[in-house]
Amino acid sequence: MSKHFDIAVIGGGPGGYVAALKAGQMGASVAIIEKGHLGGTCLNVGCIPSKALLASAELMHHFQHAAGLGVELAGKVSANWTTIQSRKDTIIQTLRGGVKGLLAARKVTLYQGRAALAGPGQIAIEQNGSTQTITASKTILAVGSVPSRIPGWPTDPAIVCTSDEALHWKTLPKKLLIVGGGVIGCEFACMMQPLGVEVTIVEMLPQLLPNMDGQIADLLTKIFRKRGIQSHVATKIESLTIVGQAAEARLSNGTTLSADRVLVATGRRPNTADVGLSAIGLTADRGFVRVNDRMETSVKDIYCIGDANGRCLLAHAASAQGVVAAENALGHDRTADAPVPSAVYTFPEIAAVGLTAEEARAKGRPISIGFFPLSHLGKAMAVADTDGFVKVVRDRQDGRLLGVHMIGHNVTECIGTATAMMQMKASVQDVADTVLAHPTISESIKEAAEDALSAGLHLPPRKVLRLAGGVA
Amino acid sequence: MPTITLPQSKDLPAGTIRRWRKKAGQTVSKGEVIVEVEGESILAEIESAVDGTLAQILAPEGQTVSANAPLAVVNADVKSAAPAAAPAPATSAPAAAMPAAGKAQPASSAPAGTVIPIVMPKAGQSMEEGMLAKWLVAPGAQIRKGDVIFEIETDKAKMEVEATDGGRLSRIVLPDGGTIAVLQPVAYLADNDADVDAFIASQGGAAPAAAATPAAQAGATGPAAPTAPANPAVVENGRAKASPAARKIAGTRGIDLTRLPAGSGPGGRIISTDVPLTAPSATAARPAVPAAAGGTRRKMSQMSKAIARNLSLSKQTIPHFYVRMTINAEPLFAFYQAEKLKYPVTLNDVVVLACAKVILEFAAFRSQIAGDEVIEFQTANIGVAVAMDEGLVVPVLASAERLTLAKVSSETKRIAAAARAGKIEGMGTGVFTITNMGMYGVEEFAAIINPPESAILAIGTAREAVVVKDGAMRAGRVMTMTLSADHRLINGALGARFLGRLKEILEAPSVLL
Repeated sequence: MSKHFDIAVIGGGPGGYVAALKAGQMGASVAIIEKGHLGGTCLNVGCIPSKALLASAELMHHFQHAAGLGVELAGKVSANWTTIQSRKDTIIQTLRGGVKGLLAARKVTLYQGRAALAGPGQIAIEQNGSTQTITASKTILAVGSVPSRIPGWPTDPAIVCTSDEALHWKTLPKKLLIVGGGVIGCEFACMMQPLGVEVTIVEMLPQLLPNMDGQIADLLTKIFRKRGIQSHVATKIESLTIVGQAAEARLSNGTTLSADRVLVATGRRPNTADVGLSAIGLTADRGFVRVNDRMETSVKDIYCIGDANGRCLLAHAASAQGVVAAENALGHDRTADAPVPSAVYTFPEIAAVGLTAEEARAKGRPISIGFFPLSHLGKAMAVADTDGFVKVVRDRQDGRLLGVHMIGHNVTECIGTATAMMQMKASVQDVADTVLAHPTISESIKEAAEDALSAGLHLPPRKVLRLAGGVA
Repeated sequence: MPTITLPQSKDLPAGTIRRWRKKAGQTVSKGEVIVEVEGESILAEIESAVDGTLAQILAPEGQTVSANAPLAVVNADVKSAAPAAAPAPATSAPAAAMPAAGKAQPASSAPAGTVIPIVMPKAGQSMEEGMLAKWLVAPGAQIRKGDVIFEIETDKAKMEVEATDGGRLSRIVLPDGGTIAVLQPVAYLADNDADVDAFIASQGGAAPAAAATPAAQAGATGPAAPTAPANPAVVENGRAKASPAARKIAGTRGIDLTRLPAGSGPGGRIISTDVPLTAPSATAARPAVPAAAGGTRRKMSQMSKAIARNLSLSKQTIPHFYVRMTINAEPLFAFYQAEKLKYPVTLNDVVVLACAKVILEFAAFRSQIAGDEVIEFQTANIGVAVAMDEGLVVPVLASAERLTLAKVSSETKRIAAAARAGKIEGMGTGVFTITNMGMYGVEEFAAIINPPESAILAIGTAREAVVVKDGAMRAGRVMTMTLSADHRLINGALGARFLGRLKEILEAPSVLL
């Protein structure tokens, strides 16, 4: 007889393993099935390895600018890519073990194999050629996503790569062409440049980081240019061919670029093709399994979380959805509607939560915008990192905090303050009333909030128009 | 009377009223700033275009207006009345704005137009107030006498109401669902909206800006104000100051946060524990507070209030019934004394573990009613009542059935200590509660169910008593357990079987090891 569980989770990434831990904590019997390594994209080919590599690159960047802080380096500072890679691999190993330990502590049964839905409540697990079936009262799909590739392009993995391969490169390229100026493209550009790689980004849309505040994208583009990272925006790649050991790209603006490696970072697609959706009558919409706020799919007792439902392709969003799905599967009533921050680990860092000014205007909200440049901030000067600003979007009508957008030193750590405020449905006045430590970068959130209320103290007074009233 | 409007300016295509520097009734002079308006990244000060008295503010603070929108009515002094109709002064980019159709009239026009209030009819001798169920016409509509214009609901009936006068429906002051005393205005007929403000002001009330927004409505203090007005201490920029949790709970309970007293969060922010369990009836009279004859008064703490509300909800909405059983406590007592030598444990811990095991056999005891559904839980999360100064709180021992007796004991101690320190673990996740007054020597008592659970077990002291066995009396030890159960989920026979099974285990407790 096949083994039965209260809950089966397919996929051991940050959505799936958190869902399994939550269900285990709540006393359910839980199975989790993972075909590769625990930790999913985030831990193995995403957040964690990229941050580990970026840390080395950022240190190089600091060494290159150390003289400005009075630190003189005698001799040559050089990066050892092999050591950088092995340090990253150690971190991944440690964290994988951590996830495994956590699952064991919650008595979650781990199946290493490829799972497919085999019928209502039935999951077939294939491992080393043999298949076993387990049954579960509720199933949580947490199958994640993989990097998209461009159909028709050369597939030589030594030259044309996605982030999956690039994070584990054995050698550095000399000239790198990054296709797509989104988060992954920008982080890679930032990582490669201090290590001596010549980087060019080509983005089809009119700005880098197309989903983020336009002013932030403009500043990042400018900073990149200063470092020698070239960006072509509103530009398509008409063709990409392999010529010898290099790729040659013809751009829609007439330029021809040659690079010894190409990183395709044009987005990710859901990993739902081989999960057996049809066995239980579940259909996908462009690959995504759509869900409601309770993470319920159109089929009873089947939930879907994380990248695979297409709501928000971020690890922390998947984890939050995992908790919601687990609780709902066990009879509670939760919705996933908390604001989700986003973070970009370029240097300077970028972070945001809530609506951009553009999005708020499109929704027809009357807004006021608060702005505070980090060049005015003591902490930013002290750490010699004054590029950046904070933008606060306030609903002029009801005073609500609609969004906070930051670019600058360490802002991914600061966005938590803004996210907590959003979660608590704070007004901008609440933000301005909060006392933040000095000197910190976080202070700039309060300053920008005050500016949105036209009450900033550390900025010159706002311009005031004097108008005669009309008469009717 | 001239109406001051927002001038056109490319820097300020629309703005939100930030602050009125002048109040109604104050004199204003031409060129003097009367109001501050806020744009996306600019502030503007708007000057009066005439000398006179500010008669009426039409755009209250917080309202967003676009160019040419009326801001205020000014009673012009005679000397400046004439130029008022002429182009506005030079500091303003455009010439005088065109009067918006039907919005306001030039200063030179005749006295204010006719305003006819439409009132809540008195449709019966005993009718004192009515609920406006639904408007059938929208503001701006032309109404003829005899048209059915809205529906009302009284305590007895639902009926349609016909217009007794004809004209243009200028403003609705009682929105759908609002309740008001009979013969009080629910709307006004007028050709000119500004006249309605003047009319209401002349009746001694402030002009409600728009009936559509409850917050704005609540600001009105005129005769037409709804029976339960918003609490200004709670409303900030037209929105209740409340945490997301409180908003969510209020939404599910149908409670308007703006009508609640100030909350216990920072700055009076309403937090989840401040939200009452049921929406207060807008019409329910408060019980008269008797004159305090020598008594002292003190405010209940938020926690006491929350506990009190929960208890009332339980006893008023859950049909409780009680089953009592006395068991031979000698084996239990002996077992407890033997185990206690090995690790710290109490009699209550043994009862908790026994209950956890029995609950797994009886689904109704781990079920809850939620609307018209029954939710069945798979684990025995057991609440353990902990007495505190402010009342009883119930932290929860998760999945108690999986624990060893030693673990039940240590976990119960830990969650009780945490509860006394202010952290109530697992609140809301319990399926069953155990309350024990044995340590006070209480023989037996009946407890109130901890909603949304389906039952609670009250344990008395394990006392020495004369027991009769096989016709002979002897000294023994007994313990009485009283089950309070929700009769919607548990019937008498089931309650008896549950207690019977529990008795079986407690009279042979070594099965718990």
